[in-house]
Amino acid sequence: MTAVGPDLACGRPGLPRLLSQLGYDARAGAGPVVTVSVAAADLEAAVRRLAAHEGARLADFFASGGNPAIDGDPVVLRLVWGLDCDRRYLVTESAIEGERYPALSDIAPAAFAEECEIFEQFGIRPAGGKPLNRVVLPPHAGPDFPRLGRPPAQEPAEVHAQHVVGGHAFEFPFGPVRQVGVESLYYGLVTSGEEVVDLYLFTWHKHRGVEWRLRGRTPREALFHVERTEGLGAVGAAWAFAAAAEAALEAAPPAPAMRARAIALELERLYNHAAATAALCQSTGLTVGQAAAEIALERLLRLNAAAFGHRYLFGVVDIGGARRGPDTAALRRGLPGAYGELRHAADALLATNSFVDRLEATGILTREAARRLGLVGPVARAAGVATDVRADHPAEPYSSRPPAVATGQSGDVLARFRVMLAEAAESVRLIGELLEAGAGPGGADLPESVTGRSDRSGLGWAESSRGEALAWVALDGSGRITRARLRPASVRNWRGFDDACRSQNVFTDIPIIEASFWLTVAGTSR
Amino acid sequence: MPLWFLRGLRRGVVTTRYPGQPDASAAQLPTPPAFRPAALTRDLADRLAAICPSWALTRNGDVLFFDAGACTACGRCREAAPGAVTASGEFELAATDPAHLVKRIPLLGEGGS
Amino acid sequence: MSLPRTEETAQALRRSVARQFGRSLHIRTLDTGSCAACEQEIRLLAAPHYDLHRLGFFFTPAPRHADLLMATGPMIRAFDIAARKTYEAMPGPKLVVATGACALGGVYQPDAFTHGSVGDTLPVDVWIPGCPPSPLALLQGLLVAVDRLAEKVRDLTFIQEGGPR
Repeated sequence: MTAVGPDLACGRPGLPRLLSQLGYDARAGAGPVVTVSVAAADLEAAVRRLAAHEGARLADFFASGGNPAIDGDPVVLRLVWGLDCDRRYLVTESAIEGERYPALSDIAPAAFAEECEIFEQFGIRPAGGKPLNRVVLPPHAGPDFPRLGRPPAQEPAEVHAQHVVGGHAFEFPFGPVRQVGVESLYYGLVTSGEEVVDLYLFTWHKHRGVEWRLRGRTPREALFHVERTEGLGAVGAAWAFAAAAEAALEAAPPAPAMRARAIALELERLYNHAAATAALCQSTGLTVGQAAAEIALERLLRLNAAAFGHRYLFGVVDIGGARRGPDTAALRRGLPGAYGELRHAADALLATNSFVDRLEATGILTREAARRLGLVGPVARAAGVATDVRADHPAEPYSSRPPAVATGQSGDVLARFRVMLAEAAESVRLIGELLEAGAGPGGADLPESVTGRSDRSGLGWAESSRGEALAWVALDGSGRITRARLRPASVRNWRGFDDACRSQNVFTDIPIIEASFWLTVAGTSR
Repeated sequence: MPLWFLRGLRRGVVTTRYPGQPDASAAQLPTPPAFRPAALTRDLADRLAAICPSWALTRNGDVLFFDAGACTACGRCREAAPGAVTASGEFELAATDPAHLVKRIPLLGEGGS
Repeated sequence: MSLPRTEETAQALRRSVARQFGRSLHIRTLDTGSCAACEQEIRLLAAPHYDLHRLGFFFTPAPRHADLLMATGPMIRAFDIAARKTYEAMPGPKLVVATGACALGGVYQPDAFTHGSVGDTLPVDVWIPGCPPSPLALLQGLLVAVDRLAEKVRDLTFIQEGGPR
C-alpha cells in the first residue's frame, strides 16, 4: 500500500484549455468553482469532451427549476465535474425545454442513477428510451406525490427497467428488514447456487424527502435537518452544506472556527473507521476482534461527547463557522488512549491469518470500475483512484496542512481496510496539529438579507469518512432556500457495491463487502 | 489468539455497572432543557418555540408546552435564552405513555419581552 | 399520536410483562427511516461497555423469536407494510419500544413522506427520547419496558426554580 503526497503531477490540459476546447471564455477567474452555461444543443458534445478528459471526474448531476406552478419554467440541469488536478470544480448549467435531453449516461456511466432520479423528480428523461430504474420515490408515488419539479408525463411502469433473470440463475429478494441493528435496505440477489451473479439495490424505502423539505428555510434552519439526513456523516454533510451557503452569501468563516470544524471532521472519520473495523470483524465471525474494535469505538464516541458535547458531533458546524469549539484539554487527554485501542485492535487483526484470509481477494473493485462509476473515498482510493478533496480542493485549514492521501492497489476488502487504518493515523496527526494552531467556536457575520441579487448559489464540499460530500444551494432574495442539493458520498458509492459483490464472491462475502464500504442507506435515500 | 486474550486481561473489565451504579460517562451527554418560569414571558416563549427545530415547544396562553419526546437536546433554546433555559441533566427519559413526556411550563415572567 | 390503550389494560400488561420478560428478553430492531445514528447506539448495546447480555437481553434476527420490537425512524409511509409484517410475525405477548426523537414525533412532521412517529402504525408500549438516545438511555428504556426499573420521566417537571440569571 502506498501513501501518496498531495502534489500530483497530472500532466493533463488544465481548465483554461478545457474551457476553450468547449468553446467558452477561458478567463476562469481565481475561484475554486467555475460555472459555465451550456446550451442544451451543445450539452452532449460538452459532456463527451469532459468524459474523455483524464482529469475530469463527474462528481454530481442534478436538476432544479421545473416549477409546476410556473408555466413553462424550464428544468436546469447541472453537472458538477471535479477537475481534481486543477484544484477546481466545473459546474455546467443547461436549461432544458421540453421532456428530453441527451442520454448522458451513455457517455458518462457515472450519471445513470442521477438520470433515474431526475426523471422521477422532474419528469424529464434522456433521449433514446433506455429503461430507467426506480431509485428515489416509492412505487405508490402518483402524480400528486411531492416532487422537486413536475411529475413524469409517462407511466413509470413503461419506463422502469424490469429485472430479467435467465438460465440457471434464480433471484430472491432480501430485506428491507434485515439483520438486527442495521438499516433497512432491500436488495435482489441473483444466484445460481452460492455465488453472486448479480445484486441490485432498491433504495426508495428510506426516502424522506429531505431536499423537498429544505425549500423555504434559511440555511441555519436547514442545517438541523442536513445533519440528520445521514447521522453517521453529520459533520461532513453539514460542512459541505454550510460551505455551499457561505459561498452563496459570500461569507468567510474565521480560521479558528474552520479548525474546530476540521477537528470534528477528523473525529468523525476516526469513529467511522473504528465502526467499520467492528463491522468487518462481525461479518467474519471474529467476535473478540469485534469487541476490541467496539471498545475503541465507544471510547471515540465518548471523546466526541467530551470534546464537542455530542457523541455524533451534531451541532458543531454552523453557517459561517462553528457553534462549538473543542474542549482542548479533554481531547488531548482522551485521544491517545482511544486511538491506541483502535491501533492495537488493528495490529492484532492484521496478524490474524484467518481474518486476513477472508478479506484478501474478496469484493474486488477494479480501478477502471471505480473511475467509470465516479466512486469516491476509501473505496475509490483502495482501488487506486487517489481522489481526496482535502488535497484536491483544499480550503483552510487543510490547505496549509495537506494530509497524506492513502491509496491501495488491489481494490479488495483488505485494501479498503488498510486505507481506513492509514487514514485514521493521519487523522490523529491532523487533530494534534489543529489543536496546536488553536480551534474555537465563532462565526462570520452573515448578510441580513441578500437583496440586490435574486439568484445566489454556491457549491460546498468536504471529505467525509465515506468520501467527497457535496452540496449545492440556491437562495432567494430573502436568503431562503429555493433549491438544496445534498450529495453525501453514499450516493456515489452504493453503485460500486453491486460491482464489488459480483466479482466471484459468495453469499457470505456480502456482509464483509458491505462492512468494507461502510456506507449508509440514509445517506443515499434522503 | 493468545494476543487477544493477554490484551483483554491487561485492559480489564470496561462494562458499565448501570443500573446498579451510576455511570460517570452520562455527565457528558446532551440533555433536554429545564426552564425557569420566572424568566419566561409570552414573547420569549414564542421566540423559543420558533427556534426549536423539532416542534418540541408550543405556547398556549400562559403555558409553554414542552414535548420531551420530540426534543433532540440540540441546545438552541438554551443558547437563545441562557437566563431562562438550562440543561436538565436528565437522560433517563423512557416513558410508558407519551403524555408523560409533555410538560407544562407556566410563563411567570413580567413585561412583554 | 398512538393507538389507544386504557389504563387498566396497561397495568395488566405491565404485570404480565414483568412475569414473562423479567429474566430474559429477545429484541428485534426495526429501522423505519432513521438517519442511522440510532442504529449505531443500538448496536453498541452488545458491545463490551454496555453488554446487554448481563441483563438477560438478547438480539434476535427472527421476529418469530422476538419479544420486543425496537423501532427507530419516523415511519416512512412506504415502509408501513414491512413494519406491520414484522410486528405481526412476532408471537404474543410482545412489546414495542419507539426509539429516538424521530420515532416520537420530533424532527419530522407528518406529511406525504412520513407519518412522523412510529405510533401511527404500531402500538407502542415504551417511548425512549434522544437524538440519538445513548446506550445508557436505551438500557434504561428496555429495563422500564420489562418493569425492572421504574419510569422516572413522569415525575420530572423540567422546571428549575429561581429567577432569571
